[in-house]
Amino acid sequence: MPSKIQKLEPDRTTIAIGLEGSANKLGVGIIRHHPRPDKSSPKPPAEILANIRHTYITPPGEGFLPRDTAKHHRSFVVKLVRQALKQSGVSIADIDCVCFTQGPGMGAPLQSVAIAARTISLMWDKPLVGVNHCVGHIEMGREITGATNPVVLYVSGGNTQVIAYSHQRYRIFGETLDIAVGNCLDRFARTLHIPNDPSPGYNIEQLARKGKHYVELPYTVKGMDVSMSGILAYIDGVANDIFGGKPKYTDDGAEITREDLCFSLQETIFAMLVEITERAMAHVGSQQVLIVGGVGCNERLQQMMGMMARDRGGAVYATDERFCIDNGIMIAHAGLLAYETGYRTELEDSVCTQRFRTDEVFLAWRDD
Amino acid sequence: MADDNKNAEIPLPALPEGIVKALDLTLISQGAEALVFFSQSHPFIPTHEAITNSPGFSAGYILKYRPPKPYRHALLDAQLTKHRTLSEVRSLYKLMLAGVKVPVFVSVDPRQGIIWMENISGPSLKKWIWGNEEVIDSQTEDEAGRAKLREEKIKGTLLSVGSEISKLHFMDMVHGDLTTSNLVLRNKNEGEMEPVIIDFGLSSQSTLPEDKAVDLYVLERAFVSTHPMHAEEYIGWLLEGYVAGFGRGKKTGVFKVREIMKKLEAVRLRGRKRSMVG
Repeated sequence: MPSKIQKLEPDRTTIAIGLEGSANKLGVGIIRHHPRPDKSSPKPPAEILANIRHTYITPPGEGFLPRDTAKHHRSFVVKLVRQALKQSGVSIADIDCVCFTQGPGMGAPLQSVAIAARTISLMWDKPLVGVNHCVGHIEMGREITGATNPVVLYVSGGNTQVIAYSHQRYRIFGETLDIAVGNCLDRFARTLHIPNDPSPGYNIEQLARKGKHYVELPYTVKGMDVSMSGILAYIDGVANDIFGGKPKYTDDGAEITREDLCFSLQETIFAMLVEITERAMAHVGSQQVLIVGGVGCNERLQQMMGMMARDRGGAVYATDERFCIDNGIMIAHAGLLAYETGYRTELEDSVCTQRFRTDEVFLAWRDD
Repeated sequence: MADDNKNAEIPLPALPEGIVKALDLTLISQGAEALVFFSQSHPFIPTHEAITNSPGFSAGYILKYRPPKPYRHALLDAQLTKHRTLSEVRSLYKLMLAGVKVPVFVSVDPRQGIIWMENISGPSLKKWIWGNEEVIDSQTEDEAGRAKLREEKIKGTLLSVGSEISKLHFMDMVHGDLTTSNLVLRNKNEGEMEPVIIDFGLSSQSTLPEDKAVDLYVLERAFVSTHPMHAEEYIGWLLEGYVAGFGRGKKTGVFKVREIMKKLEAVRLRGRKRSMVG
């Protein structure tokens, strides 16, 4: 177990390149950390040198399959690394380590990006650092927003977790019992044949703004956990009825539109997420909430969370799409934090895994 | 229940004005979902001496209020408040009829999210154990002596707590948030404590052994985090009382409890949470 961080923290600037490809986004980021001017002062903010992303977009009504997504990543990774290096203006010699997503995520895309990371690590003779995707999101969120010790709601296409820090680990307080919230939104977008460009969740959000009528949906919170699959099955059924020529009406006699369905789906599942976050906040006695992950860019979710936090005398911290949606810079940032405490991933240990829980990572860089 | 965590800085969601005017309410706890107040009197029950002096009456009432959540759509909020308030009351009423020791329910306003119930005066199991541990530790330095005193003072109560939980589970009810703070000890006779289970806000009906095992597991975790020194010993006593309590239910009871204990082993191994998949 590494000892206190201050001792290990280097007294020079460090630079890392991060490669992310756990789902349909391929991201490459380059980050620079500056040393503390003296021991007592806080760490200066990290400098983002490059943050490039390329998304694999499928036609409306289709999701992304692992094999095709991996192929997309393989064909773009070299181009993106070159572009990132050029944009950052750093030379290969300046880079300290190569960071990559070790999991969780889809198997094939993870593997193809891991191969790219191993290749450049050998080619440039730089150490590898494997990063947990969720920890990447949390650390980047903390860095950007300045939230010190928040309850974290991590919501994306593959993950839904309520996390709080304790004893050098991010502990999972609540999570989804079946599918992730982003997955639920994406799959409903498929049912409605909404375009996947720029992202299905974004397009649902735009439609939801025009929704007026609230349609009652199942609401499933179990303690600090949530369940989404029943809601999706139910609303899919309603949508199929409507498009199958069997219109549905609200109690006031208004015809239910697809905008209303998007609106109701968002209202219901976001209320569930805010509720479990509030429960976790009451449990650990925290007043800050940090929202990370792709669904975290949703402004309605941010607004609802803000109302809840305000009632508890706290505040919500959220980032924009550059950092919310999967990106390479967060992998570089979390990897560099680990690198600075002496963490390395040997080549033979650089196997990636689809199942990599947030609480498995020992956070040597936090000692509060 | 008697935790004094009044938080003056956060403005409280307003209770209906009539209630605030008519009564002298003291906030005793504020959870994520509900506010719990203590009141000496109930608006519709006369505070006649014949009532307040009757043996069943234990000083005052509890008002549990689920305030509206501004972040939720008004329709959803109304629906949830009504549903949760009613389901909590149904559980309380059903358990009371079955003779499980729970606060006696007085009245309910499901649309406002208000439940009135009996106030259980007594320490929570958590505080009671802490108090006893302190006394025991001051009496002797010797660990063997302390163990003997613990068995004398604490074991009996934990057996009866286990037995009370077994009654709940035998009826296929799951509490959903069993902790040492949600078990209150009330004076029965001189020196004898009887456990009362409170806060049925997350309770549900379930025939699955899995859900009951999770209930027990949550309680085990609560013991480990609040009484780390002797958690194992306490849990052992509690489960002993639990299994014995089921034994009274004859064959079905014995069969049920065997299934639940088997599941509890499995739940302990995986730590409640599933492994992370997609």
